[in-house]
Amino acid sequence: MKAEVHIINERCKGCNICIEICQASVLEISEEINSNGYHPPVVKNIEACINCGMCEMFCPDFAIWVTVTKEAEVNI
Amino acid sequence: MVKNIEKSHPADCFLRADPVSSVWCPGCGIGTVINTFIQTVEKLNIDLNEICVVSGIGCTGKVAEYLKFKSFQVNDGEVIKYAAKVKSENSDSKVVVFSNNADFLVSGAEDFIEIGKNDVNILVIHINNIIYTITENRAIPTTPFMRASINKDFELPFNIPHLAKSCGARYVARWTPLHAGWLMYSIIDAFYKKGFSVIEVISPCLMYYASNDRMADAAGRMKFYDTNSVIKQDEFTENLDIRINNKIIIGKFVDKK
Repeated sequence: MKAEVHIINERCKGCNICIEICQASVLEISEEINSNGYHPPVVKNIEACINCGMCEMFCPDFAIWVTVTKEAEVNI
Repeated sequence: MVKNIEKSHPADCFLRADPVSSVWCPGCGIGTVINTFIQTVEKLNIDLNEICVVSGIGCTGKVAEYLKFKSFQVNDGEVIKYAAKVKSENSDSKVVVFSNNADFLVSGAEDFIEIGKNDVNILVIHINNIIYTITENRAIPTTPFMRASINKDFELPFNIPHLAKSCGARYVARWTPLHAGWLMYSIIDAFYKKGFSVIEVISPCLMYYASNDRMADAAGRMKFYDTNSVIKQDEFTENLDIRINNKIIIGKFVDKK
C-alpha cells in the first residue's frame, strides 16, 4: 500500500510518541528545529508504512496524519 | 512521498480558530484523550451543535477553550452541577464533562453523588493526573497509597470507579492514554447511554508527578503504561485502588441498560 505521511512541523512539541508507537519504524527525529525549539519527526522509510493510523491516533497536538495515495486508491 | 508544508489536519474543523499548538506540555495525556474524543465524534458522524462540553479548572479546563463545540469553562467544584443545568436546558444535546481532580472530588463531591443518584444523562470523562498541577506539594484525594507529599501529608486515595458505581452510574470504565483505541470504543458505548456514565483516564502529570518517578520522557511513559497496567473486564470495583507496587487494573466495569 502506498501511504503518505503529513507532518505540520510548527505544531509539533517533540514528544516522540509517534516515533515510539510506529511498529514499522517509518519515522525518526529530524535535525531541524521548529520555531518553538523542538525537533519534529521526519519520514525515513515511507515504503514500510502500512497506513495503520497509530501516529495520528496518539498525537496530542494534531500535528501528524496519514492518507492513502490516489494511485493506491485506484488499485483498491 | 513526504509533505512538510502547512496543511490542515482532518480534525481541524473541531478545533477553534486554527491553534498554532495546544497549551499542554509535550506528550501530555490530555491531548491524546481529546484526539480520541474527536475521532469518536467523527466516527459517529454527529453534528457539532449536538454536543456541549463542560470543563473546570486547571490543565483539563483548557479543553473547553480548545474544542469547537458549545463549550463552557466553569469554576472550581461546579462542573457536575453546571453540566446537569446545561442538560436540563438542552435536552436534545449530549453533555460531556472533562473533569479534573479538583473538580468533583473535594468541593463538588455532593453534586457528583446527588446527580449520580438522580441519573442525569451526562458523560463524565475524568482525567486523573494524580496531582494538583499548580500546587504540586500537597496530598490530594487521589495521591496513591503509601506515597506522602513533601509536607508528609497522608491521605487514603479515592477509588473513582467504585465511587461512581455506588452512586448508580450506568457505565463505568477506566483506561490510560496508551489504550486510546479501547477508550474510543468506550466513549462510543457511553455516548448512547441514557444515564450517568463515568470514564476515568489515568495519565500522571508529566512535569511534576512522573518526573519524580523518572518517566518524564513521554515516549518512555507509554512503556510504563504498557508494563504497569492489566486489563480485567468486569472486575469488582472494590479491587481498583491505585497502589504503588500493584498494577493498574483497567477495563470496563459497569454496563447497565
